[in-house]
Amino acid sequence: MSRTRNVLLLLCLTILVMSSAVFAADPSGFPRDQTLIVSMLTGRVGTPSNFNEWVGWRNRDRGMQNLANEPLWSVDFATGQIINGLASGDPVYNEDFTQLTIPLREGVAWSDGMPFTADDVVFTIETIIAEPGLANHPTFATAVKDVYKTGDYEVVIELLESDSRFHTHFLDRWGCTWIMPKHIFENVEDVVSFEFNPFVGCGPYKLHSFDPAGYWTAWEKRDDWDKTPTGMLFGEPVPKYVLIQTYSDGSAKIIAQLTHQLDVADHDAEGFAAAMAQGGTIRAYQLTYPWVVNNDPCLTGITFNTMVAPFDNKEVRWALVLAIDIVEYLAQAVDGQATLSPVHVPHLGAYPEYYIEPMQEWLKNFALDLGDGEKFYPYDPDAALKVAEYARQRGHQVSDDPEELKATFGLGWYKYAPDVAAKLLEKNGFTRDANGKWLLPDGTPWRIRITDINDTGHHQFKNGNAAVQQWKKFGIDAEYIATDAYSTLQQVGDFEVGAVWPALEPWGAGADLYRSLNAFYSEYMAPIGDNNRGHASRWSSAEMDDIIKRMRATDPTDIEATVAVSTEALQLLIEEMPSVPTYGYSGFMTWDEYYWTNWPGAENPYMGPYGHWGTLKYMLPSLQPTGNK
Amino acid sequence: MFVRKYLIPRLLQYFLVIFLGITIVFFIPRLAPTNPVERTIAEIRSRGTYLDPAHIQAMVDALTEMYGLSGSWLQQYKDFWVRLFHGDFGVSFFQFPTPVIRLIKNALPWTVGLLLTTTILSWVFGNVVGGMAGYAHNKRWSKVLDALMMFVRPIPYYVFALSLLILFGYVFRKFPIGGGATIGRQPSWTLSYILDVLRHAFLPALSMVVLGAASWFQTTKLIVQNVKSEDFVQYAQLGGIKEGKIMFRYVIRNAMLPQITNLALSLGQILSGALITEIVFSYPGLGHLLFSAISTGDYNLIMGIISLSIVAITTLVLIVDLIYPLFDPRIRYK
Repeated sequence: MSRTRNVLLLLCLTILVMSSAVFAADPSGFPRDQTLIVSMLTGRVGTPSNFNEWVGWRNRDRGMQNLANEPLWSVDFATGQIINGLASGDPVYNEDFTQLTIPLREGVAWSDGMPFTADDVVFTIETIIAEPGLANHPTFATAVKDVYKTGDYEVVIELLESDSRFHTHFLDRWGCTWIMPKHIFENVEDVVSFEFNPFVGCGPYKLHSFDPAGYWTAWEKRDDWDKTPTGMLFGEPVPKYVLIQTYSDGSAKIIAQLTHQLDVADHDAEGFAAAMAQGGTIRAYQLTYPWVVNNDPCLTGITFNTMVAPFDNKEVRWALVLAIDIVEYLAQAVDGQATLSPVHVPHLGAYPEYYIEPMQEWLKNFALDLGDGEKFYPYDPDAALKVAEYARQRGHQVSDDPEELKATFGLGWYKYAPDVAAKLLEKNGFTRDANGKWLLPDGTPWRIRITDINDTGHHQFKNGNAAVQQWKKFGIDAEYIATDAYSTLQQVGDFEVGAVWPALEPWGAGADLYRSLNAFYSEYMAPIGDNNRGHASRWSSAEMDDIIKRMRATDPTDIEATVAVSTEALQLLIEEMPSVPTYGYSGFMTWDEYYWTNWPGAENPYMGPYGHWGTLKYMLPSLQPTGNK
Repeated sequence: MFVRKYLIPRLLQYFLVIFLGITIVFFIPRLAPTNPVERTIAEIRSRGTYLDPAHIQAMVDALTEMYGLSGSWLQQYKDFWVRLFHGDFGVSFFQFPTPVIRLIKNALPWTVGLLLTTTILSWVFGNVVGGMAGYAHNKRWSKVLDALMMFVRPIPYYVFALSLLILFGYVFRKFPIGGGATIGRQPSWTLSYILDVLRHAFLPALSMVVLGAASWFQTTKLIVQNVKSEDFVQYAQLGGIKEGKIMFRYVIRNAMLPQITNLALSLGQILSGALITEIVFSYPGLGHLLFSAISTGDYNLIMGIISLSIVAITTLVLIVDLIYPLFDPRIRYK
């Protein structure tokens, strides 16, 4: 027996010794001091060799949209500006918005050296119209009458119907319709099954290599970077290589960043806290509390299914708003690390200036009718200050400067008024039982089910669970149902309350809110059971339809007119409250400053901070190497 | 006699199980509240792409047609079997228009490579050492090993795998923290690439072998202790047969019989992948592919992976049934 045991022990020791010698680390071939490593938001690439982003989902944040591609225009939500990429200026519409002319940038070359011209744009639109298998075929086939060039650098698109926002199909907010290199695609027999490998784009980086298993994609700076819009507008990108990498597990991502194997990382709230707790060379967007990226152009909140009773009653919806203590709500959702918004646009970029600040007086004067001539003014202009106070009580250092507080926590929100909420409910026939629990008008217990995402790190999950806590405290039997099928359930209306965005994400730049508000048009709303095309609340009204029609007839570059009509829509949404805006999306991202510095943090927001947005390529010329090897 | 009385009915049962299994897998995802077309559109919208609501219905119609979901379930079911007999699982909806078989082919070598190795290693280690420990259960080394396994076995796999990752990837920094190979390396049949792959597979494999072996160890040890107390073993000892021969030929061989069936089932389950391992170590494989397919309602991909898994499990069980007499001479098919 002892001999067998010794042999086994010896075998184990041999394996251990051999493994350490044989498994010596193999260098990757990317000099770390010349390589930027960015985590990919959308996870592992399912078909790594396929770069044809005109067909289905291709994980375009693997480097296509953020490094190697160039759209006609890009949104930069940090500055609120629209950046001209392959276009050299704004689109010019005719009077009735049935024709637009796009001026193109001269001197741009594809990454294989061929010049970019109007032929590429015309070819792209014609190909999409001709090929039903391409993702945007329905849009272009039903909207475009004709497309032609009037010179090598000017394209005219004629539309079948008036559309003042047609150009936004080419505006990269987080993806858009990209331009195809004609010289490649014109030789392809089947555009749908074509893999477009190697990828050819007009961005400053070209494809170097990729993981056949889909975990990383490597890009190399083009020698002719000066023939790209990025180079022309912002100069030479600094990193020679950029690796876009994904980790399936959040802990591995944190370890990668702590060991300087990852420069830019997106986390969930818990991962963010863990990474920040290690300190060292890791920094967040803001250098002090609340640290998070608070200028993301998404607004989070709660959405009622307004085709389901009792949420079809706006007074019930308002009662539920007034049952929320927003300071507690924000603390429960994100520990106060977010910016409030009382209206259906986030508090970022130009939106406070165009909408939230000018609407303050209207908000203060907005009243709810409690019956018997009694009115209640629900707006609390000091709500954000109360959140700041909560943060101070938690021991965080918070500025006293009102301007800084506004930027950090927003302006106001709605009062916590459970007594008023009770009056509104009682006015509508609701009662309470002996235990103080709310009963529906028919006398049965009121249970609210919030059906939404099954992802604890997601803001929809956080909002939904914060609302559950608040409404339980108010005496309603509320619960959160987490399911992977939430999007389908919401689409067919099989839910009562959700935590999907209270309004579709706006562009994040400029004054135009059409992207958000058009979703409330009545034609898009389907009865329960059918697939809905509009906003998940299924709310619409003749008044909103009228506003949307007027919006469609408004030139989006006419800021005054656009703001006026959009403000009307925002006011109507507050009056009706089909969905509750709470706080702007908080981005839990960290940068490692071991190899690279001069990130666009809150103290110097020269560009959108994310690694997965198209603006990454515009950020790279400003990065500075630290000299660490 | 064997063919008519046993083999033919057993083969019929084999094909019936496969047919029913695949049929169930065809219908179950369609009963789930996830519609792949709507899910694709929701995914595109949630990723920030603006789809004009006025054009979404046209897009739904186009995708339904392209995905082959426009007919009735019965028609789709019929088409599915026709395709399957041609070795075609159709295209993945979410990775359209990539054929399912290609996605599986990409992931399969990683899964088979890792899971086949770890399943066999843990089975051999757990059974041999467990058998020896069960036979010598009164010895101190056996008790120490038993206590160690008792400690390791209940550790949740995720916690154990993450601990290895933190220990070897962060504290000692001896092994990579993710991926199947070093970034920048392309697959090739070179020693350097193979060693690189082994290096990346080391932690995932270690996590699976240790917990897997602990499990086999404990079950085998208990079985061996039982078998050891049976009369034929005592007769053998009284008969003066060498201890080593009794242990391996008499006790462990008998104790192995149920473990062989379990091994076959474990090997068959390889094709379902190892989701948690793949997540913790960012390791390529079928588990992640199946998980994404289920969450996106990618019927064809679900069908492809599960069908292979059904075939693998039933085939291995069939093989074990047929070769069982080799391990247990008492069994005769008549």
